[in-house]
Amino acid sequence: MPTSILGPYFRTIVTVSVIAAALVFSFTYARNGVYVEIQPLFEWMETTWFGYVGKTWGAAFATIQAGHLIGLAVLGGCVLVSDGRLLGVVLTDVPHRIVVDRADAVFRWALATLLVTGVFMACGVAMKIYYLPVYWYKMLGLACGILFHYCVRRPLVAHELGAINPIVLKMTAIASILVWFLVAATGRWIGFSG
Amino acid sequence: MNEENQSLTDGQNTGLKDAQTSALVAASAIIIFSAFYWFAQIQSVRELLELAYG
Amino acid sequence: MSELIYNFAVWVDDTPWSAMLHESYYMYNWVESTHVLTLMISLGMLFLIDLRMLGWAFPDVPASKIADRLNIPMMVGFTVMFITGILLFYAVPVRSVQSVWFRIKMVLLVGCAINAYLFHKRMNESVSSWDNEAKAPQRIRNGAMLSLGFWTVVVICGRFIAYDWFDCDYPQSAFIEFVAGCVDGQTRF
Repeated sequence: MPTSILGPYFRTIVTVSVIAAALVFSFTYARNGVYVEIQPLFEWMETTWFGYVGKTWGAAFATIQAGHLIGLAVLGGCVLVSDGRLLGVVLTDVPHRIVVDRADAVFRWALATLLVTGVFMACGVAMKIYYLPVYWYKMLGLACGILFHYCVRRPLVAHELGAINPIVLKMTAIASILVWFLVAATGRWIGFSG
Repeated sequence: MNEENQSLTDGQNTGLKDAQTSALVAASAIIIFSAFYWFAQIQSVRELLELAYG
Repeated sequence: MSELIYNFAVWVDDTPWSAMLHESYYMYNWVESTHVLTLMISLGMLFLIDLRMLGWAFPDVPASKIADRLNIPMMVGFTVMFITGILLFYAVPVRSVQSVWFRIKMVLLVGCAINAYLFHKRMNESVSSWDNEAKAPQRIRNGAMLSLGFWTVVVICGRFIAYDWFDCDYPQSAFIEFVAGCVDGQTRF
């Protein structure tokens, strides 16, 4: 059986490296450098068609925001059903493979809706969110959530539930719920800031 | 044949261990970060409320 | 009728707790945040049930099982939203009751409740014959589509409440004044 260049614990090594890199990036001047470099991008976002529509017609912005909320509701439902199954509280008499896979299919669409509507809204208020720390927390949470979901959680639950350490399974489910709740809560916070 | 099956099972076990370890590391990082983040948020809210209401 | 509703709203507005909630540093924001974030539980479960009926989610799980199991978290979510919704109204009663969007939202919520009752009644009567089918029968699917449509408009109207385009303290057309229930000479907004 061919092994990767990093040996049999490839995924663990990559996970630890990504977390370490994120910590180094967050607590050093590298973050400030990147922050200054991306300001022109946010200035440009406000000049796009999305930015113009978002700034000019409050009704359009609010309708897209409602779409964002519906995407959030569906994503939240998928996360709660899927992680609830892993925690053994929801749909316990349905094989976990079916619950997790089917929830994942809807999750993908909900995430796509959130990303599209989120980009539209970001263009409308680009310079406001650029200076908001809570927006960057949300982006950190979003990146973390997407990476965690696809690179950690999915490979784990691809195995038989009975073979997985129950503590690891529950921690994974709780972490998944926490990270998406963080994304939702910081998103709401943006509305109260600035 | 038996050796191939054994190697496949060993590979699956290693794959499971790898997935479990990375999940443990990532989930721990998320839970610890969330604990710190929400503690800091609640602290700042408490301080602001004390400032506002005495 | 408009004057009766306005007077009731003013009476609620004059209660000390209403003022406290409206003027509090954080409480109103927390109540509103809870109202919005609980969407993930209530509407999340509801949308998954509706999507199952349409055959777009969990097609190989029996429909009655999905509806049954997700019903309890959905009702818990709706209870929290109902309580926080009442508190949000209680904090700003006059503006809420004279908001066109709030009125449309309330009418639609009644519509959603009726649709949900009819949907469950029809489902319980016939589910044994189509439980394992990927898609529910046409009538049930119609109910699911209506539910999705109604709730989408409820969310949009909820978002629009914050905007003051049709508020009574600005000059409005006679039609808007009628729909919003503006009272001549009102001093509270």
